[in-house]
Amino acid sequence: MTDVIRTTGLTKRYGARRGVEEVDIAVAEGEVFGFLGPNGAGKTTTLRCLLGFLRPTEGRAEIFGFDCWTRAPQVHRHVSYLPSDPGYLGELTAAEQLTHLAALRGLPATTWRRLAERLELDPTVQIRRLSRGNRQKVGVVAAFMGEAPLLIMDEPTTGLDPLMQREFLSLVAEAKSAGRTVFLSSHNLPEVERSCDRVAIIRDGRVIEVSPVQDLVGSHWRSINLVLAAAAPVGTFDLPNVRIISGDARDVHLMVLGDINPILDRIAALDVHDIGISTPDIEDVFLRFYDPAGRSSPEEAAEQSIASAGPGR
Amino acid sequence: MNAAMARLEFRRGRVLVGGLMLVVILYAGVIAAFYPTMRDNSSLIDQYLNLMPKGFMAAFGMTGSLSDPGIFFTTYIGSFLWPVAAAMAGIVLATRPVAADLDRGYLELTLATPTSRVRLLGWAIVGQLIALGVLVVVMIGAVLVGGWLVNAGFDAALFLRAIPVEVAFGAAIAGPATLLSVVTLSRGRSAGIVAGALIAMYLIRIVVGVEPSLDWLGRLSLFQYADVRGALTAGSFPIGDTLVLAGIGAITWVAALALFRRRDLAA
Repeated sequence: MTDVIRTTGLTKRYGARRGVEEVDIAVAEGEVFGFLGPNGAGKTTTLRCLLGFLRPTEGRAEIFGFDCWTRAPQVHRHVSYLPSDPGYLGELTAAEQLTHLAALRGLPATTWRRLAERLELDPTVQIRRLSRGNRQKVGVVAAFMGEAPLLIMDEPTTGLDPLMQREFLSLVAEAKSAGRTVFLSSHNLPEVERSCDRVAIIRDGRVIEVSPVQDLVGSHWRSINLVLAAAAPVGTFDLPNVRIISGDARDVHLMVLGDINPILDRIAALDVHDIGISTPDIEDVFLRFYDPAGRSSPEEAAEQSIASAGPGR
Repeated sequence: MNAAMARLEFRRGRVLVGGLMLVVILYAGVIAAFYPTMRDNSSLIDQYLNLMPKGFMAAFGMTGSLSDPGIFFTTYIGSFLWPVAAAMAGIVLATRPVAADLDRGYLELTLATPTSRVRLLGWAIVGQLIALGVLVVVMIGAVLVGGWLVNAGFDAALFLRAIPVEVAFGAAIAGPATLLSVVTLSRGRSAGIVAGALIAMYLIRIVVGVEPSLDWLGRLSLFQYADVRGALTAGSFPIGDTLVLAGIGAITWVAALALFRRRDLAA
């Protein structure tokens, strides 16, 4: 498979301020690639370099073999982009804005209509009167309209309600099945889990992990809080990937690494009053892999993370 | 694509340009309606004005009788209304397509399309030029219509000669404002610099009017080149001055296009 996106030693500094440092990413054709990191990590800077808005201080970025800085117009012919906080023209209606963006891309004026209906976006309303979620829908429609082979999206589901988030994930899946490549910047781990093939994690401007999403998910620590009707038999939770964090006879807090099914089988045999299962967010993943406080063991980091959030999260 | 950009430029500029049109129509029309009073009482008014310091009068374009249509127009329109309207239109329209749109997050949307940066900014510059042209035509038209309503006897052919000069004056404001917005990527900074420069040039013109020995200083002021008294009074067209103003606008617009083509948008 050819690489649609390739960055080599991509570095961007804003004077003395850090942007990104030596980012090396390769995204294959047809891949849904997640770009994860907390706010300020360098996600948007990387995206802006990819789109030719920023000139790399060092290194280079290529899309479909075109240098993103020197050949930006060629790059843009292959890309559809959704910024993290698009500033639409408030005086326009959604229809006018989408029609204009379609024209700039050389698309038919009504190319957005089907998508707008699917996302339940009223195109007749002025953008300034739209809620945050509906404005985001405008961006999602703009990103998915047309047939650009590469979709680059920065925090695409921000402000969308759960139903629309699900619809968005369907659109991503359809784009993938159509052979399009999706580059998805996010700090929403569940969204990335559900949609991406691989992820890169960026922190403090550096990519610190690139791995298939299943590897990342498979190595998740999940927190399970149980309230039991009666004390569990001794050894119930003795599994290689399970650790008892706290608990008395009936109130148990477990951590499970990777496959959750074996422990669920054991729990199913118990009389359970209540159960809560929480997945770590991106910060937990960072703590697990790259704990800045210096905790060497991933378990310690995850335990502390979970303990600090308390049971029932 | 081009039609879409032209439509959007029109759409985005219509409130500002419409508002300014209203102002110039009202002001220019009303001022023109006063002209017969000036003309019919010229000796009285000239006596009164002669009591004023001549330097200051010259600084504001009043170097002769207000009964002269050229002096009248320059005093009330060319030296006052148009500089204010041109500065507002020029600065607001010129700093929008790059600096303001970058700040609001709109520029990324349009730059991510296959439309080239030069084309995007180029259409915005065309929009500026059209807006300035429309405002000048409406302003001169308001003067002529106002004058016609009160039998002022303005010579329309002479007044039409002021149009290219005043448009060029607006271009000499909008061009540098566009360039500065590309350089600074900040609407506030670019607008502030242009507005400050205009005020400084206006003061220079006053200083030169008060102290003729500093005439050379006047060459630094755009207002020196936007003097249409000769055109309106004697029918001579200030080709050189108009070319200077148009040249400033054209050169700075081209420079803005060239710079924007490769501008790193790290604000």
